[in-house]
Amino acid sequence: MFERIWVVFAKEVVDNLRDRRSVATAMLYPFIGPLLVGVLIGLVGGAVRELPTRTLDLPVLGAERAPALVEYLESHGARVVSAPSDPARAVRAGESEAVVIIGKDYAERFANQRPAPIEVVSDGSRLSAVMATTRAMTLLQEYAQSVAAARLGARGVDTRVIQPIALDTVDVAVGRSLTGFFLNMMPPFIIFTIFIGGVYLAIDATTGERERGSLEPLLANPVTRLELMSGKVAAAFVFTAASLAVQLIAFRGVFTLLTRGDASAIAGPDGVAFVAVFLIAVPLMLLAVALQVIIAALTSSFKEAQTYLALLPLVPALPGLVLVFVSFRAHEWMLAIPTFGQTLLFGQIVRGETVRLLDIATASAATSLVAGASLLVAARLYRRERLLFGS
Amino acid sequence: MIEVRDVHKGFGKIEALAGVSFVADDGRITGLIGPNGAGKTTTLRILYTVLRPDAGRAEIDGFNTAAAPREVQRRIGVLSDARGLYPRLTAREHIRYFGRLHGLKRQALEREIDRLLEMLDMGAFADRPARGFSRGERMRVALARALVHRPHNLLLDEPTNGLDVVASRSMRALIRRIRDEGCCILFSSHIMQEVAALCDRLVVMGRGRVLADGTPDALRRDTGKTDLEDAFVTATACMTG
Repeated sequence: MFERIWVVFAKEVVDNLRDRRSVATAMLYPFIGPLLVGVLIGLVGGAVRELPTRTLDLPVLGAERAPALVEYLESHGARVVSAPSDPARAVRAGESEAVVIIGKDYAERFANQRPAPIEVVSDGSRLSAVMATTRAMTLLQEYAQSVAAARLGARGVDTRVIQPIALDTVDVAVGRSLTGFFLNMMPPFIIFTIFIGGVYLAIDATTGERERGSLEPLLANPVTRLELMSGKVAAAFVFTAASLAVQLIAFRGVFTLLTRGDASAIAGPDGVAFVAVFLIAVPLMLLAVALQVIIAALTSSFKEAQTYLALLPLVPALPGLVLVFVSFRAHEWMLAIPTFGQTLLFGQIVRGETVRLLDIATASAATSLVAGASLLVAARLYRRERLLFGS
Repeated sequence: MIEVRDVHKGFGKIEALAGVSFVADDGRITGLIGPNGAGKTTTLRILYTVLRPDAGRAEIDGFNTAAAPREVQRRIGVLSDARGLYPRLTAREHIRYFGRLHGLKRQALEREIDRLLEMLDMGAFADRPARGFSRGERMRVALARALVHRPHNLLLDEPTNGLDVVASRSMRALIRRIRDEGCCILFSSHIMQEVAALCDRLVVMGRGRVLADGTPDALRRDTGKTDLEDAFVTATACMTG
């Protein structure tokens, strides 16, 4: 029996390794999640995280008219650099983030204690430009306030009268919350991969076999339908598992790249965590493959099967996506919901929270039961005469 | 040896077989002939175990196709109505897959594959993927994988369908050769000349029933027609009204 299952399994694996669609689904799709999240965090996070701590290179046009201001800026974390000749063009082109222009009559008006004109050229459509502008504006306002305080002080007025509120912001580490976002994005992508990794093989081995007309000669061989199905399920399972492994490794790689040299970042899931995710995913992968085989056995054409099976991963991945944006207190019984239980567990593991063994057992047992039942249904469908014709 | 006894089979309201009985002996070529929809393919499908009869029994070498399908499958070589190949597997891999499903291994299997490649003159395309095969090439692969376990009974559904003259001739020569080895061959066709040239025995079917059963000569005699095609038309016409 196992020998024949092995023969079917080996044929499906070899056959589908030669199929561009099967291999692309199993080996390239898993990269989408890590890359998408990685690029997103890399671009946004890089700008957000680095700017507040880095020295701000601030081009100032007409710096010679305001030596005191330049001195103030340089002593407060900015480095005044020579400004481009056309500030508006330079900012629009992204060559400069923000340019400060000291007005021509700045010195004269400043000396006469009249509002001295300063312009800040900015680009509101670029996040890095907005960040730089905000820092420049803050510095300029602080300078203005310090000058005002000095002038009022000289007249014997308490400077606090022009400070009706004491404003300060508390930064809860931008980098940290972005890492958290990244970690929360992982479970839905993992679920998605579990449901898509072996899908092409599952369709090809059932609907495709029928559509090509190769099912009928195959069924005339001394192999039980159960052995045939088992070999095909095993092959789809291996593709799914390979797909998930590829994705977990990619996630690990992207995460390492993103947090490299960032002391404020969370350490992130380690190798053990990824192994745990993989093992917890095993019953779910079985369920995914069983559902794929059921749908493939019930549909009459490759196209029809493809339509249903392309939508299938969205359903279980959706709750995980919602959890990224909504905080949610899970009840224990929810762990028994196949795919949702795993979504919760994956979340806990990648965030480094303690995971209770009982919870893992609950989720795994419940999902294994449903997977087993689904495999039974698939086996029944394989035994029907109508398998030959589709229904 | 193939024996079909009073087999009935329906699909929903349609009665495909309404009590079919006949015997196909070893060392004989038995032709299953009849117009489209007569029940030839359904009969063959029951014999090669992918369909179960609603009533009656079908046996191969004494094994019931519904009760002992594994025993039956070991003893039959099948060229089914659908004879699709795997586009990404080579001709050789097709034969190897079926050989392994029959439990053949390593050298014994490879020897058998080489024998079939030579017998069916498949050397030129043995290691090419099936994607670009011509009809004739596809047919030879389908036949080779059906013969890999040297079955004693051969079930062929319209084996020359879609083949050109030369390919049809070599197919007929092959069928005779296998018959001469003592095998039991049952094949379906709707082409009279082919049946006349090849068959030792004829089973004429129409509307799910056997209308006539005997040697081509007996059939001519019974219907009073010298031409087998006329005999066939007469047989199907008078029995089905």
